[in-house]
Amino acid sequence: MILLELTLYFMLLSLISVGGMPSVLPELQRYVVDVKGWVSAQEFIQIFAVGQAAPGPNVLIASLVGWKVGGLPGALLALAGMCGPAAVLAWWVADLWERFKGSPWRTAIQRAIAPIVVGLIGSGGYILATPGAPDWRLWAIAVASAAGMLGSKLNPLWFLAAGGALGAFLLD
Amino acid sequence: MQVSPPRSLTELFLGFLSIGARSFGGVMPWAHRVMVEERRWVDEADFAETIGLCQFLPGPNVGNASIVYGKRWFGLSGALVAFLGLFALPFVWVLALFALYADFATTNATLRAVVTGVGAAGAGLFIGTAVKLGRVLARRPAALALIAACFLAAGIGRVSLFIVLPIAFAAALVCARKGWI
Repeated sequence: MILLELTLYFMLLSLISVGGMPSVLPELQRYVVDVKGWVSAQEFIQIFAVGQAAPGPNVLIASLVGWKVGGLPGALLALAGMCGPAAVLAWWVADLWERFKGSPWRTAIQRAIAPIVVGLIGSGGYILATPGAPDWRLWAIAVASAAGMLGSKLNPLWFLAAGGALGAFLLD
Repeated sequence: MQVSPPRSLTELFLGFLSIGARSFGGVMPWAHRVMVEERRWVDEADFAETIGLCQFLPGPNVGNASIVYGKRWFGLSGALVAFLGLFALPFVWVLALFALYADFATTNATLRAVVTGVGAAGAGLFIGTAVKLGRVLARRPAALALIAACFLAAGIGRVSLFIVLPIAFAAALVCARKGWI
């Protein structure tokens, strides 16, 4: 029953995941932590961390949530749910999108989505850096890595590694 | 530049497998390297156009791109093969890494601290991405207002995205049609 609920939820989430996984992280966290209590806020940031550090699309965070809830079947169903509906949409829209090249509505939709995605990705960052009560140490690590990313062209893995080192130093 | 699409499903699968296998620190740069530079399946403009579409569509960007390209070259079986190739190895690795982590984390506080630090740094990368993308838009007050409204509602207010997104999208579409963003 819980697997059905999980799969249906990810299928719905898939359809609104404009901008990919980063945009829906606030919603995912709200649902699995606040509403369902399937994982704790601290576990959620660790799931996210493992998902970021491993290679691959960050949508795999969904499969880790699924794993936590229902083992391997949960992981597979969560990933399929998160990707399936969006993939079907991509299948149908790809040709349509090509046909409407230069249409004012296509331009309007593209312009409209951009600021929403920015606001949601920012929300995702804020929520992940604030599991539970505000903690200056997590915020310091987040701000440092944001600044590093904006000021250099290094592979993001370096900032994750630095975050891990700072974590051992500040949080242990 | 001379481009030649993959000739077989096997070639398509192996190409996407190598994207997934190597995509430490983000998939997009590796998708570009494999598809445009190494295998020359598509040219620069085609890649940019397709990724642009996939960023606007819901779902994982490169995941969607695997569907779009797979369909273009081999129809339904191409879409499935490209998608599975992309996810096969990362799926196994992320679960293995998490299982390993869960094993050690219960007893090791330092490991938990390290991984929480990695998570906070990852959160910072999101904030950095938002700033980077937002800088381009911020010259328009309406765009700035939309960014702030989404952040306040979804980030601070913890309102469900199923409520925030339709309202924000309707408002943004009006702004876009009026030329404000």
